[in-house]
Amino acid sequence: MGKVKIKKKSTLIDMTAMSDVTVLLLTFFMLTSTFLQKEPTIVYTPSSVSEEKVPMNNLVTVLVSSADKSGKLEDPTLAEGKLFISFTGDADSTLSSEKIRGMMLDEAISVYNDQHKNNRITLNESQKAAFRSTNMIGVPFAALPEVLSMSVTERDKFLGDMTNPNVGIPINDNKDRDGRLNDFQIWLKAIYNVAQRINNEQGEGKSAEEKAMLSNLYTALMRKGQGIAIKADKDTPFTTVQLVFDNLQTMKLNKFSLMTALKSENEPTN
Amino acid sequence: MAQIDTSGGGGKKKKGAQKKMAIHVDFTPMVDMNMLLITFFMLCTTMIKSQTLQIVLPTNEDVKKEQQSQAKQSEAITLILDTEYNGDKPAVDANTGKTVHNIYYYEGIADTTFSTPNYLRKEEFIGNQNREAQGIRKILRGKNMQVMEEYEKLKTQWKNKEITKDEFDAAAKKNAADSLKTRPVVVIKPGPNTTYEGLINAIDEMNINQISRYSIELPTHTDTVLLRRYEQDHGQTIIRPTVRAKARTTAAAAATDAEASTNS
Repeated sequence: MGKVKIKKKSTLIDMTAMSDVTVLLLTFFMLTSTFLQKEPTIVYTPSSVSEEKVPMNNLVTVLVSSADKSGKLEDPTLAEGKLFISFTGDADSTLSSEKIRGMMLDEAISVYNDQHKNNRITLNESQKAAFRSTNMIGVPFAALPEVLSMSVTERDKFLGDMTNPNVGIPINDNKDRDGRLNDFQIWLKAIYNVAQRINNEQGEGKSAEEKAMLSNLYTALMRKGQGIAIKADKDTPFTTVQLVFDNLQTMKLNKFSLMTALKSENEPTN
Repeated sequence: MAQIDTSGGGGKKKKGAQKKMAIHVDFTPMVDMNMLLITFFMLCTTMIKSQTLQIVLPTNEDVKKEQQSQAKQSEAITLILDTEYNGDKPAVDANTGKTVHNIYYYEGIADTTFSTPNYLRKEEFIGNQNREAQGIRKILRGKNMQVMEEYEKLKTQWKNKEITKDEFDAAAKKNAADSLKTRPVVVIKPGPNTTYEGLINAIDEMNINQISRYSIELPTHTDTVLLRRYEQDHGQTIIRPTVRAKARTTAAAAATDAEASTNS
């Protein structure tokens, strides 16, 4: 019997086509998707038929944490109703998110110190820099210096613990006995002041109509109600969200938006 | 990686002729790298873009009685929202897998004499079934018929590309606020156990039914009276201690119990 000769075949596969496909896929993902924002807690927003997209720029997001869903806590409601704020600035670099955050921090601290003359807070440059580079913050003013001194991983861990009383911007008293604003209202006031100042600077020498046409945080806040978006979980009780509404009303920001996911009109609402 | 095949074609070689070189570049590492990049983008980015629902709330400062705008009795409809709870979590419908929200509504002024059994009626958010409005949507649509008829016309025009999307939006907005038409005034009152989703659903119905005049208020004493009567008549509990309040009191009771046991 003759030996069966096994033909040696080249195992080289032409990967060019494969490479083409992957590059196309990559391009698709890069163009269509947006980066996930780092948020201290996950909320599932309810769905609505509204087709208006969340603006990418000039947006203040108020995140309301939901009750604990992991089942680790004995009382899941302890994690509920913690507030976090994030600021997004203009798309162009003159008023980038970092710069806006810096301005808001300075303004908020000056408002806070004005109201709490006995326990003022001061931040050093590195703490301020840490604030500017943080997307979302949610601690009482009193704890701000300490939290901003932490490293990024430490801070994420700190903010992720919803049962910590120092996590979440205090909102409970609409106005305390001395008529002082609560921390959430101080932030709102600072945001409003900064937005108004920017609007005035940009609109210097322009007529009132031209000023109204400027696309900045102020016009978004005051005219379109797109400047503030509330993001809350669908199972959060209304009373918790109502507290946020109430504080916004107190600060005369009566026009705002609620973040929702999309659904079609024909779907059963529930 | 890149190989240059210099084997040429056969043995016949002309002197001076240029060597034909077939170049093979191995793209495998390139593919590997791309796959890694794709994985990174898939994990770190999102395709879902959130939508926003805009609401305008009235001022919460005290407004004098004379300055308050009064709605016509025939136009007013009040929706009291409620979410069913199962323990401390919102109750979920076994069929649809969605949270159960109830609406108790009355038209005009609250009938505190309970002269008709219709002092309070119960509805649900059902949405559309077979392209027909159901549940609360049907009632609201009926109330806003004149506006909806015009709206449907505009919608057909837009679908037939007779008008652009912008024109349609502007016309629809004008239509919804047309004071010559009979339009309802809806008061949304989320009860203490309503979830955020319940409120969004209610606002959603306003947008779907082109209702331009609605407000969000807290339930009043009258509403509680109505709900109590409804409970009596239908043998069911609607007003419960809020789930959150209950959780707090049981936690407090447990804490005092523990304290008492350590003390004794």
